[in-house]
Amino acid sequence: MSVNALSAPVNVANATSRRLRTLRRLPQRRTELGMLVLVYVLVLGLYLLAALGATGAAPKATIVFAALSALLLATAHLAVRRLAPDASPIFLPLAALLNGIGYVFISHIDPAEGSNQAIWTAVGTLCLVATLALFPRAIDFERYRYLIALAGIALLLLPLAPKIGEDINGARLWVRAGPLTFQPEEFAKIGFAIFFASVLAERADLLATGTRRIGRWLVLEPRYLAPLVGAWGFSLLILLAENNLGASFLFFTLLVSMLWIATGRIAYLGLGGGLFAGAAVFALEIVHHAQTRVQAWLHPWAHFATSGYQIIEGWFGLAGGGMWGLGPGQGNPQVIPEASTDFMFASIGEEIGLVGLVAILCVYLLLMGSGLRAAVRSERSFDKLLATGLSLLLVVQVFVVGGGITRVIPVTGITLPFVSYGGSSLVSSYLLLAILVRISNDNANQIATSARGSIEPATRPGSRTSEDRGARQPAGDLSTTGGLAL
Amino acid sequence: MSSINGRVRWAGLGACLLVLVVFAQLNYIQVFHAKALTDNPLNTSHVIQQYSLPRGAIISADGVTLAESVASHDQYKYQRVYPTGALFGQITGYYSLTYGTDGLEREYNSLLSKSTSNVRLPGSLHQLEKLLTTEPGPDNLHITVLASLQKLAEQQLAGRYGAVVAIAPKTGAVLAMYSNPSYNPTPLASPNPSVEQSAWKTLLANPGTPLAAAAYRQRFFPGSTFKVVTASAVYDHNPSLAKKDFPVISAFPLPDTSNQLMHNFANSACGGQMLELFTVSCDTGFAQLGLGVGGKALADEAKAFGWDQPVPLDLPGVAQSYFPPASSFNRNAGALAKSAIGQESVQAVPLTMALDAAAIADKGVIMTPHLMADVTGSQGQVVKTYKPKPWLRATSPATAAKVTTLMLSVVNSPNGTGVAARIPGIEVAGKTGTAQTGGSSIETWFVAFAPAQNPKIAVCVLVENQPLGVQYQGGTIAAPIAKAIIQSYLQGRAS
Repeated sequence: MSVNALSAPVNVANATSRRLRTLRRLPQRRTELGMLVLVYVLVLGLYLLAALGATGAAPKATIVFAALSALLLATAHLAVRRLAPDASPIFLPLAALLNGIGYVFISHIDPAEGSNQAIWTAVGTLCLVATLALFPRAIDFERYRYLIALAGIALLLLPLAPKIGEDINGARLWVRAGPLTFQPEEFAKIGFAIFFASVLAERADLLATGTRRIGRWLVLEPRYLAPLVGAWGFSLLILLAENNLGASFLFFTLLVSMLWIATGRIAYLGLGGGLFAGAAVFALEIVHHAQTRVQAWLHPWAHFATSGYQIIEGWFGLAGGGMWGLGPGQGNPQVIPEASTDFMFASIGEEIGLVGLVAILCVYLLLMGSGLRAAVRSERSFDKLLATGLSLLLVVQVFVVGGGITRVIPVTGITLPFVSYGGSSLVSSYLLLAILVRISNDNANQIATSARGSIEPATRPGSRTSEDRGARQPAGDLSTTGGLAL
Repeated sequence: MSSINGRVRWAGLGACLLVLVVFAQLNYIQVFHAKALTDNPLNTSHVIQQYSLPRGAIISADGVTLAESVASHDQYKYQRVYPTGALFGQITGYYSLTYGTDGLEREYNSLLSKSTSNVRLPGSLHQLEKLLTTEPGPDNLHITVLASLQKLAEQQLAGRYGAVVAIAPKTGAVLAMYSNPSYNPTPLASPNPSVEQSAWKTLLANPGTPLAAAAYRQRFFPGSTFKVVTASAVYDHNPSLAKKDFPVISAFPLPDTSNQLMHNFANSACGGQMLELFTVSCDTGFAQLGLGVGGKALADEAKAFGWDQPVPLDLPGVAQSYFPPASSFNRNAGALAKSAIGQESVQAVPLTMALDAAAIADKGVIMTPHLMADVTGSQGQVVKTYKPKPWLRATSPATAAKVTTLMLSVVNSPNGTGVAARIPGIEVAGKTGTAQTGGSSIETWFVAFAPAQNPKIAVCVLVENQPLGVQYQGGTIAAPIAKAIIQSYLQGRAS
C-alpha cells in the first residue's frame, strides 16, 4: 500500500470513499461491462464469420474460444472493478476489441500462431491484473524510475548479447530463451516513457528556460538535460546497432513530444526533428538494412522481385479488399510476407476493406483520446506526461505501421499494438493499458478527494458533477502540481 | 505560453493528423487506385482465388485419373495432383500458381474450373439427397487417350528421345501421344513457390525441352515418310508417272546444282515402277517422281495433307509442319528433288505424320484430331460429348487405296523396309523414314495404320538421335515400336 507523501487525513478520506464505493453500484464499471459484452459478441461473430468464410463450417474450437474469451474478459473486468474501480470504462473494451480482431485474423493466417496468441492474451491479461495490483497508485511507477531506466537499457542491450540475441530479417531485435523469443524493445519503450515522464516532471522549469549565458544566448544548464540526453542517446545507439529503425523513430518521437509538452519550448520539436533527420541520413549511409528499406519505399515496383515484394503484395491485398473487403476468411493473406506481424494491416484490409481499417484506426484514436483525457484530468505532471507519452506511443506506432504499408514512410519492423502477432507486443500493450487505467483511476480519486476535502463534501465521488468540476479545474502549472504530487 | 493541457491536446491533434495521412493514402490504394492494382499483371490474387477452388478431374479413356484436385491443408484449399506423373504431363499440362497453365489445363480451363451442367431433376430420394448435400462441383474431362497405350509408348521408347502418336483414323481421336523427355506437372502445381521454381528451372535446363513436347510442338526432318505425300501427289496430279520405269541407279545428279549427287541410303542401287520405289524407299526414284509431278503439285498436296497450316488439335501451342512454297523451287529443281524425299527444308511434326497416315487409312479424309471424349457433371451425368468432324480432304478414296497398296508392300514384301512391323493375322500398312539431321545422328520414323481393310489405328513413331549405321533405320528402330502399339490396341496385349 502506498502511503507516499500524502497526509493522514487524505488517507482516511480515501478509505471512507473506498468503503462507499463498494456499496454503490460503480456506474463506470457497469458501462464497461456493457461494452465488454458488446465487444464479446462482435469478436465472436467475426470469429465465426472468418471460419465460415475460410472453410464453410464453424470450427470445432468455437466453444473453447467462446468460453476462454469470456473467462479472460471477466478476469480483466473483475480485476479492474476491484483494483481500479474509478478508471474510465473505455480502455478495457477497446483493447479487448483490438485484441479479439487481431486474434481472429492471426488464427486465420496461421492456426499455430493463433493458439500462441491466445496464450499471450492470457499472459497479457494477467500482466494487466498484476500491474494494477502491484502499483496501486500511478506515483508508484515513478518511485523506481532509475531502476526502470536501467531495466530499459538492459532490455535494449539484451539482443546484442552473444548467446541469446537473434537476427530476424536483418534486424537484431530478438532475444531467445528456450522456445520463446521476445522483443525487449517493446518493454523498453514503456520503461523509457516512465523515466522521461519522471525526469521531465521534476525539471520542466529548468528545461524550459536557459540559465547559463553564453554571449547573447541563454543556454540550458547541461546537467539538467544530461540524464535525458544520455538515456536517449544510449538507446539510439543501441537501436542503430540493432538496425531497429522503427523503434528508434518511436523513441525519438516519444522524447521530443514529451520534452515539448513538458516545457512548451517549440525549439525542442525543431531540434528533435533536425537530430532525427541527421540520424536518418547517417543511418542511410551506413546501415545496409536501412538502404534496402528506403529503396523499397521509393521504388517498390523496380524491386518487385526483392525488397519491394512485401509492399506491393500488401498493396495488392489492400486493393483486392477495396471499400468493403472480401469478407472475413475470404482473403489470401498468406501471400504477403509477415502477414500476421508487420503486415497485419494489409491482411486485415483485404478482408474487411477500407471501412474495416478505418474502424480500427478509429478504435486506436479513441484509445489515445481516452489516454489523453486521463492526462488532461490528471493533477500530477508525472501522470500527465506519462499518460500523454503512452497514448501518443500507441498512435505513433499505428502510424509507423500504417504509413509503412501505405508508403507514407519506409517500412520498419513495428507491430500494431494489441492486433499484431507476438507475445512481447501483446503483453507490453497490456502493460501500457494497465498504466493508463491506473492513471485514469487516480484522477477520479484525486478529484474525489479534493472534492470531498474542500469543495463539496456532500457530493458523491465519481459522480458526473464532481467529475465535470474536476475537469474544469485549471490543470495548473507544473511547479504547483509537481509540488502537490511530491 | 500555452498550458501543458493545451499542448497535450495539440499533440493529440498531431497524432490524429498522422492517422489522417494514412487514411488518405488508404483511400488512394483501396478505392481510387484499386482497379489498376488488381489488373496489374504482377497481381496473382485472382490466380490464388482460382487455385482455392476445386477443379475437375481429367480422366483417360480407360478410366485412369490423370489430374485431380485433392483437399489440402495449406493456404489453398486444394492441391492439383497428377497421379500418372510424366506419362501424361505433356497432355494434361500443368496448373501452376507462378507459371500459369498449359496443355488440357489451359485448353479446358473454364470447363474444369466451374460447373457448366444444369442440375438434373432428382429422380429418387437418394438423388435428391445428393443434390441437396453436395455442392455442384466442376465438370470432369474424359479424354480419348488410353493410359495403357500411353504406358506402352513410354516403355517402347525406353528413355530414347522421340515421340509416339496414335490416332483413330475414322474419328480423329488421339489414342496415345507420348514423347520423351516428358515431365511431371505435380511440382509445378505445388503451393510452395520454391518447389515450383526449382522444378521449372530443371525443366528449362533439360536439353530435351520437355515443355515443348516432341509429339506436337517440335518439327523434325521427315525423311522418307514424306514419300506417302509424294506418292499421293503423283496419283492425284500425274498418275502416268506411277507406271513409269525408272532406271536402277545408286546416285542421281541433282538439276540446277553444280553436279551435286543424291545418293541412295547405303549407296544401294534401285529403280523400277512406283510400287518398287516405294517398297524399298528409293530416294533417286522418288527424286525423279518429285521433279516429274512438279513443285506446285507437291506443295498443294502437302497443304491438303495438313502441312503449312495450324492443326486443330484441342491443345495449346501445336506446331505446324512445313513444306516450302512452290515458288521456292523456281530455278532450284534440286531443292524440289530433295523435298520430294522429305529433305531440304521440309519439316514434320510427328502429329502431322500420324494424321497423314490416318488420311490414307480413312479414304483420304483427315478427321479433326481431338483429345476430348466427353464431359461429365459432378453428378456423373454426361454433359457434353465430342462429335467427330472431318478436317481436310487430303486426297481421293482412289488415291488412298493405291497408296495403301504401296504401304502394305513396305511391310509385306520380302524386300520392304518395314518388315519389322508385320503382325500375324493383321494387315499393317506402313512407311519407314530415316533422316540425317546434318550432324552425326539420324532420326528414324515409321508411320503405319492397321488393319489395312478396316483401319482402326494410325501410328507415327519417331526415335531421335540414333547413331549413323545401316542397322539404325526407321525399319529397325521405329517399326517395332509401331508394331507393338498396333498389336496392343488391336489384339489387346502388349508385345
